[in-house]
Amino acid sequence: MIELGSQISLPNSKMLSRTLKRSISDHIPSSSLPPTFLLPCRARYFNSTTQHVEPALDSSSIPPAVAPAASANPATPTASPIKKQLLRSVPLRPPPIATPLTLDASVKEMLPLLAVQPEHYISIHIHGKPYLVRKGDSVRLPFQMPGVVPGDVLRLNRASSLGSRDYTLKGTPYLDERIFQCRATVIGTEAEPMRIKEKTKRRNRKVKTVRSKHKFTILKIAELRVKNIDELREG
Amino acid sequence: MSYFRITLMRSGIGLPKRTQGVLKALGLRQRMKTVFYPVTPEVAGQIMKVKELVAVREVDRALTKHELKAERKPDPGFYMERAARR
Repeated sequence: MIELGSQISLPNSKMLSRTLKRSISDHIPSSSLPPTFLLPCRARYFNSTTQHVEPALDSSSIPPAVAPAASANPATPTASPIKKQLLRSVPLRPPPIATPLTLDASVKEMLPLLAVQPEHYISIHIHGKPYLVRKGDSVRLPFQMPGVVPGDVLRLNRASSLGSRDYTLKGTPYLDERIFQCRATVIGTEAEPMRIKEKTKRRNRKVKTVRSKHKFTILKIAELRVKNIDELREG
Repeated sequence: MSYFRITLMRSGIGLPKRTQGVLKALGLRQRMKTVFYPVTPEVAGQIMKVKELVAVREVDRALTKHELKAERKPDPGFYMERAARR
């Protein structure tokens, strides 16, 4: 209390503004701060080129008149525009597969051996392109995935092979998605450095410069688990 | 009603004008183009003219342009399990 008074009594106005700022920053609730993985010190580790992380849309940007209406009756088709956008661009959970899971005798015999080995790799297919990953890997997709924001959890359900140090389970051409559980978290968006290409035509002094700067979504493989035979029998 | 599903596997370049005309009449302008025609003797005769160039299958119904595109498109391989607050 005495300190505060002494600071206010100082003629230096800079000091006063700093105290005020500090007191304001103390009262910001932690929910309005960006998540920790967006902090520059954390975000730098996965990125050696120029960095561009799109912050998650602030909840305050949603008009308050729309948000409660959407939460009250989410099943109605008149959902908020953000929900609609999400529905259009990101695939939603497909209905469960009705046909029972059938496994070969050799798969039934070897799958427990594969499951107990400590580390697994998986070759997941996103839009038909394979990515060989392990748990904890970060994947820079060669495109910007529309409709996702950092923090979204995606379930990866197409894989062509799954293996450990000694065993590999190969799909024909894909594995049954009920055998494994693979989840990825969206970390952010990365941008490449601006590329400038000069285009020229013969016998003409005009030089056209074409700029391009692509964005790439970064995923982190959060979970990779091979299910036990018992779990497969249950469902 | 059944349909012929005709896909041009080999190009008609370098073949007689009459053969190229049959391809044009079938609407096969580039390789891997797929067209559907009802099963009739006229269409069967056209297919016989270019049988070395096309792959033919008999199907129950003609697919639309969008269905053909969806057939070629690979599965996305992911779905949204839990969306972050936005």
